[in-house]
Amino acid sequence: MVSYAPVSTTTPLGHEAKRTLRIRDQHLARVLAGEEFLLFDGAMGTQLQERGLAAGEIPELLCLTNPTQITEIHAAYVAAGSEVVTTNTFGANRSKLQGNATVEQIFTAAIGCARASGTRYVAADIGPTGALLQPMGTLSFDDAYDLFAEQVRAADAAGADLFIIETMADLAEAKAALLAVKENSDLPAFVTMTFDEDGRTFLGTTPEVAAVTLSALGANVVGINCSLGPADVAPLVLRMLPWASCPVMVQANAGLPHVEDGRTLYSIGPDEYCAAVTGMLDAGVTVVGGCCGTSPAFIAGEKALLAGRTPAPRTLREDFTVTSAQQLTAIPTGHVGVIGERINPTGKKRLKEALRSGNHDYVMSEAIDQTAAGAQILDVNAGLPEIDEQATLVRLVSELQGVSTLPLQIDSSDPLAVEAAVRLYPGKPIINSTNGKQEVLDAVLPIAKHYGCAIVGLTLDEDGIPATAEGRLSVARRIVAACDEMGIPRQDVVIDCLAMAASTDQRAPRAILDGIAAVKRELPGVRCVLGVSNISFGLPFRPLVNATFLAASFAAGLDLAIVNPMNERLMDVVNSWRVLSGEDESAQQYVAAYASRSDAPAGPVRPAFDTSTPEGIAATLGSVADTLQQIAAGMGSGQVTASTAKAPAADVAPAEAGNDGSPEGKVRDLVLAGRKDPVPDAVRVILADTDATHDAMYVINQVLIPALDEVGARFEKGTFFLPQLMASAEAAKAGFSVLREGDEASDVPSKGKIALATVKGDIHDIGKNIVRMLLENYGYDVIDLGRDVDPQAFTDCVVENHIELAGLSALMTTTVPAMAETIELLHDQAPWCKVIVGGAVLNPEYAQMVGADYYAKDANESARIAGEVLG
Amino acid sequence: MGAGLRIARETFRIADVDRSEVLRYLGYHGQGLSNELGDRIDDTVAHCLAVARPRATLASFAVRAVTDDAVELEACTLRLTGHDIAAHLADAREVVLFAATLGADVDRELRRLSLTDPLGQVVFDSVATALVERAADAAEARARAYAASQGAFTSWRFSPGYGDLPLDVQSSFLAVLDATRQLGITLTPSNLMVPTKSVTAIVGIHPSPQPGLESSCSICALADFCTIRQTGRTCRG
Repeated sequence: MVSYAPVSTTTPLGHEAKRTLRIRDQHLARVLAGEEFLLFDGAMGTQLQERGLAAGEIPELLCLTNPTQITEIHAAYVAAGSEVVTTNTFGANRSKLQGNATVEQIFTAAIGCARASGTRYVAADIGPTGALLQPMGTLSFDDAYDLFAEQVRAADAAGADLFIIETMADLAEAKAALLAVKENSDLPAFVTMTFDEDGRTFLGTTPEVAAVTLSALGANVVGINCSLGPADVAPLVLRMLPWASCPVMVQANAGLPHVEDGRTLYSIGPDEYCAAVTGMLDAGVTVVGGCCGTSPAFIAGEKALLAGRTPAPRTLREDFTVTSAQQLTAIPTGHVGVIGERINPTGKKRLKEALRSGNHDYVMSEAIDQTAAGAQILDVNAGLPEIDEQATLVRLVSELQGVSTLPLQIDSSDPLAVEAAVRLYPGKPIINSTNGKQEVLDAVLPIAKHYGCAIVGLTLDEDGIPATAEGRLSVARRIVAACDEMGIPRQDVVIDCLAMAASTDQRAPRAILDGIAAVKRELPGVRCVLGVSNISFGLPFRPLVNATFLAASFAAGLDLAIVNPMNERLMDVVNSWRVLSGEDESAQQYVAAYASRSDAPAGPVRPAFDTSTPEGIAATLGSVADTLQQIAAGMGSGQVTASTAKAPAADVAPAEAGNDGSPEGKVRDLVLAGRKDPVPDAVRVILADTDATHDAMYVINQVLIPALDEVGARFEKGTFFLPQLMASAEAAKAGFSVLREGDEASDVPSKGKIALATVKGDIHDIGKNIVRMLLENYGYDVIDLGRDVDPQAFTDCVVENHIELAGLSALMTTTVPAMAETIELLHDQAPWCKVIVGGAVLNPEYAQMVGADYYAKDANESARIAGEVLG
Repeated sequence: MGAGLRIARETFRIADVDRSEVLRYLGYHGQGLSNELGDRIDDTVAHCLAVARPRATLASFAVRAVTDDAVELEACTLRLTGHDIAAHLADAREVVLFAATLGADVDRELRRLSLTDPLGQVVFDSVATALVERAADAAEARARAYAASQGAFTSWRFSPGYGDLPLDVQSSFLAVLDATRQLGITLTPSNLMVPTKSVTAIVGIHPSPQPGLESSCSICALADFCTIRQTGRTCRG
């Protein structure tokens, strides 16, 4: 057996991956092992309300002003049988306390109140911050972490026995709180999230995702609290149980509140509550208590339930799992999974350009396309020498979650970039990758362990890539031994046997396939992954070789394929393998997708291109003629589309110049009509005109810009309204992207850079996004810093990029001062930069008051001003 | 003194959003409307109705005192400040406070569209704005029903940020309703609600019928900047 002890167990950022818990006693240790039950307490808030707490009052302050009352509530629970009391600190963070007391004061007093009740254990309660994390909210992950860390340090110092992080709706926030506990205390962490009737949290996390992510991240107990009564919680906890590699807890509400004679009452009593809890105990829940509306009577009932019981056995799933905040991708043993490889700049010109420019539209479209094509995980790589890889990776990871719910594979050779990305990632990602080099194992495995990630291990080491299957297995053993030592579960370890070109060594494919089989056989539980496309390097018609090799790899035991899911041939292999392996039960998926597929080219009545017989050839020629006719008809009709019956007269102004029948007129009409789909082909027609060597600049200056100017004029006159302006801009954009994709790309000069932002404190970005769209279509490079943008960060960007024109948007009277502050900084540190302002609460006078150079009443006006300033 | 109203969380079924209202938010005033755009709005309405989860939480509080520039409530830390709300609730004996929201999925969809489809984002935003007003209408209807059950009458709903009632009350307002726990509504440091398609409002419960059911432009904080009134209409229709 290979043994391997990593030299380092700390992450690049200095966090200790191997955590030794301080556990108060043997009972608690057995609880954490799932061997014994633990009984929490019931509600604090509703108990306080019954004692006269006013709505909106900060209940945590009572720990200081009326500790006797708090201790009485705790003591009543202890008398009823609670082994744990939960401190009255749900909202005791710096932000919610609003300066009424310090976090230390509250936790010290609250833990004092709890101890005074005579409880066996004191759980330090940590609730949500009350603010939403970025990107939907404005609170940064680091700031949320800091709020939690302050609570953790205070509670630990004041003598808590464990932490209960509860009522979490946002997985990112739960992760920030859990990391705050792990990194600032050695006490156990219990984490519960709160779910809606539809089985998701307010932010869309499912019980399965919560269980996988939080237990991988090192929660000692996970579970569900609040929101619902026990009968509604029960089905959700059943969904959680198979996926949590730790004990599971439940603290439900006593049903729903209602008012009777001015008193708030809950709909469920102790008996009904306990009846529902019984079912959950039978299913394997081992930690119980109560949430809103419960009282000591509920706890007494639960104590009676637990008497004489032993924890029910649980069956845990052993799938390979990764998650995003909203989605679990689980690959059971024997199934295969697809990792989309497209978001990787290596050898991809357009992606490189997108990452360099910071305009990530193309990256987003790759993510959307791969998701639609059947990828189950997306690989994300931002490794380009000339960009800040860490910053780009972090930004991409955030943006990708906006367009796809697929879990991500964080792909980088820079451990610091990996740690930065996985720390913020709200889910359980895969890290791609480590390898057999000791230095790399030391750097990467602590990250995987600390943040609960799956990890790809490449079978290469200090001596390179072994040529044989035995050599690959030997490196794999070393990697797996190091993962075992680090405490990373086997099913989270994924070995990549590294595909090498068959054209340079025809023994390579055999060695790879045997390597996969050997890893699967010799290292039980471990999974295999492979990027197949290297195999065909140097050969013609590479997709065929890739597909054949992929099929062979699946047969050898491959679990995860890193491929381009838009490649139909490869997805055909995946889908058909799923039938042959039994994964696709009764071939249902396959039949649904392929019932009408055939190798014969399409044609509902006849085989269209049958050239095996004279009749077939005749039919084929007929078919080709038909097709040509259809194409011709389509092109012809396009010229008059804007005024055909399908788009009635009210549609848009009739095509004045379009009637000239010229290709230029057609593009102009399409832009005016806001019809983007036919634009690329229409632009290509102009470029292809061999008589009049028209280049990209001709199309821009003689066709697209004049059309946009006409659109702007109509918008100005009020004959177009906003959606028409934008639809036209979209159509023009479709034309510009044709010009940028071809050889002409280098001929299209930028008209200048413009920075845009919605100011600090403001989260409205629609107006700014419209301006951005229009400016981009006029050929400007727009750097969009987003919303809620710090004045200094904006100014720094303007200085670094030597930007001559900046646009600022504010939608609230309360955020106009932040606009003035930003402009003042710009004038001070970037005096060359002109500033346009816009937004619902501005007018020309206000614009002048905040120090702006220009006021734009709408997006069209912004484009006009940009033309004036930048040309 | 009423019996008290407390609805922790109610989900509303809203079947449709008026296309003309969406068009108004989009700045439409009679231009040619293509079939494509009309279809797009209809599709977006259907999509938004599928994504949104219109919900509200409501609670009533007795009015303790109304001074010249503040309203104080019984058993509640929220103090409503400003001359406008004080005048509005001058003879109110109770108020119903509510928070309504379309939920985080609408914000997630807006973010997705901001990354992929700016026009789609604009249309979706307008539909969602119209829809959250319908959710607020539904919540207000609960308040009216409660008033009727007490033999009383409501005045039009008044929201923080309107007139001289400052947005600063949002934090207390949401705390009083426990709206973060019940509906997932959070606040930014600048007192903006997230999910962004959320509404908080106060409905007065009065002993006698109240004139008018609509707010007016005269005390609107945005009156100076309004582009809708220039077209001869108001944001209320």
